[in-house]
Amino acid sequence: MLLTGPRSFDPAPFDDISYDLCTRRDDVVIMSADLSKYCQVVRVKNELPRQHLDVGMAEQNLLSVAAGVAKGGLIPVATCFACYITRRAYDQMMICMGTGSGPGTNQKTGPTNIAIGFTPGISNPARIHHQAAEDLGMVRAIPNARVIDPVDSTDFRAALDAAVDLPGLTYIRGHRGDTPRILDPEKFTFELGKTYKLKQGKGIGIIATGHGTQWALEASDILTDRGVEHSVLHVPTIKPVNESEIAEFAFAHNQIVTIENHQIVTGLGSLASEIVSDIGGGPRITRLGLPNRWAPGGTMDFIRGQLGLDAETLATRIAGVAK
Amino acid sequence: MRRNQSILDLEIIAVKIRRNVLEICRQRGGYAAQGVALADVTAALYFDEMRPDSEGWFHDRFVLSNGHDAIMTYGALAETGHYTIEQLRTYNEDGSQVDQSPIEGQLGFEITAGSLGQGPSQAAGLAWALRQQGSDKRVYCLFSDGELQEGNVWEAAMFAAHQKLDNLCFIVDNNDMQASGRAVDVLGVEPVPEKFEAFGCKTRRITGTDMAELLDTFDEARATKGQPYVMICDTRLWDGIDCLQQALPMAHYTAKAAVDWDEGLAEITATLSALEARRDG
Ligand SMILES: Cc1ncc(C[n+]2csc(CCOP(=O)(O)OP(=O)(O)O)c2C)c(N)n1
Ligand SMILES: [Mg+2]
Repeated sequence: MLLTGPRSFDPAPFDDISYDLCTRRDDVVIMSADLSKYCQVVRVKNELPRQHLDVGMAEQNLLSVAAGVAKGGLIPVATCFACYITRRAYDQMMICMGTGSGPGTNQKTGPTNIAIGFTPGISNPARIHHQAAEDLGMVRAIPNARVIDPVDSTDFRAALDAAVDLPGLTYIRGHRGDTPRILDPEKFTFELGKTYKLKQGKGIGIIATGHGTQWALEASDILTDRGVEHSVLHVPTIKPVNESEIAEFAFAHNQIVTIENHQIVTGLGSLASEIVSDIGGGPRITRLGLPNRWAPGGTMDFIRGQLGLDAETLATRIAGVAK
Repeated sequence: MRRNQSILDLEIIAVKIRRNVLEICRQRGGYAAQGVALADVTAALYFDEMRPDSEGWFHDRFVLSNGHDAIMTYGALAETGHYTIEQLRTYNEDGSQVDQSPIEGQLGFEITAGSLGQGPSQAAGLAWALRQQGSDKRVYCLFSDGELQEGNVWEAAMFAAHQKLDNLCFIVDNNDMQASGRAVDVLGVEPVPEKFEAFGCKTRRITGTDMAELLDTFDEARATKGQPYVMICDTRLWDGIDCLQQALPMAHYTAKAAVDWDEGLAEITATLSALEARRDG
């Protein structure tokens, strides 16, 4: 695999990421809505209390207070579960955090507003209400917003570092709990919009994001064992993505498969299909991810099995598209 | 009182704001009744309470939550010269940069306020951030009785009181009117002061049209420590222009053809002459 390093696990990536960021930048405020512990905001809360602000279990307040904090010259990083930070407070995300800068607004550069949605997709065990299968699509629909779905703690950290220097709204999907280290920080440098080839091959081109990239790499090992030729492209930035890189990758393969921990509509699969169909004459695109029905609850392994997203079934589904 | 303006001078400014509101709204209609009713609050806020800075703007921060009440700010910023009346006459015209409910970053407007109920939390976040940085700036936020029906407003009140944001002053346009009629009929919001008191705020209920009382209330807000302050203004649409108040008391939005703008302006001119005569008297 390209750009990857020795596999290990990070038990609490955001605790370190948030603490490191706050020690470097005293203008950053990590915000919680009664879920600090559940988003692994522990050291900042205990050791840098001036840089932690809890608004209680009130997600509309989380994002509207955050937007006010940003207008006061600080950089809010609002944290919550992906489901609540998007669904419960979408209007506040769009209107309060999202309208301050960029084309079509009144100013080129406005305040920096960051929201991080933890336990996205099926990475939350509580079915339906706690899962967020549509967050990428929701935020992607906001003009000028940035949407990032990192695969591991390395690009999660890098995405947040990039976001604090950018005006406007950035939404990042967070990782919590045992998170695999996949990318090698020595070889990988995050750039907004850039895509990353993790395996160079031909035949089937796999495009993946977030947990979907983890799943794609698992399936990739099986496909390699079975002699099925393929490539893997990791796309952490859903918006604004470097479209020509996706197009180039897609047109270099006979078949494209997209993999995401998100509904197969409005997220990565849609993005790739839109880019390729805008050009026309491209390869067929098979979108794998969460179906348009309620996913079950439980451990992510169990849910993946139920939805045909476990490594074995994924590999078989991917190999199947070649036929 | 902060800027040593006389009450009479501020009353004259309020009348001029009312005149500007009519001049702007008579072109194509608008939220004239609110702009007129809020003219005294606006004069007190922009011409006495908020301190000017060295760059021709204000040291203190005003967050307009009730987007369509932007008309009151336009009325004031025509008097300060930040907008010309010609620019403001494009209000409600296709392609105009003078939005009826403005977007964040437009001169005079801190937030995008049209999705109602989102100002108080942003004002509270702003006040928190300013205090955090040791700033002496104060934050004022105007919102309406209709907005009191939005949960986000009460989340803001709970947060502001918990954080003891005494650099924050909420101003409620408690005009018993909303989009489809009187608030008492749609969904009652009273008792407003008691509700905010229960959330931990200090409150005072005023008419919103008595200049001396307004200045005294702002004084009290500034003197209040450890709590956010809420001034509840029991205005009524068109307060200050009797003929229009009688003609169209239920005017959430005033269409161009709905009232006789000349009649309203004539009453304004007479009021202004009387006040100026008293001043020069
Ligand atoms: C979140 C939201 N819901 C609904 C509306 C539509 N709307 C516009 S004004 C209004 C009533 C607002 O009441 P208030 O501000 O008290 O009206 P006024 O006193 O100015 O007549 C409504 C429901 C809106 N702008 N925002
Ligand atoms: Mg009202």
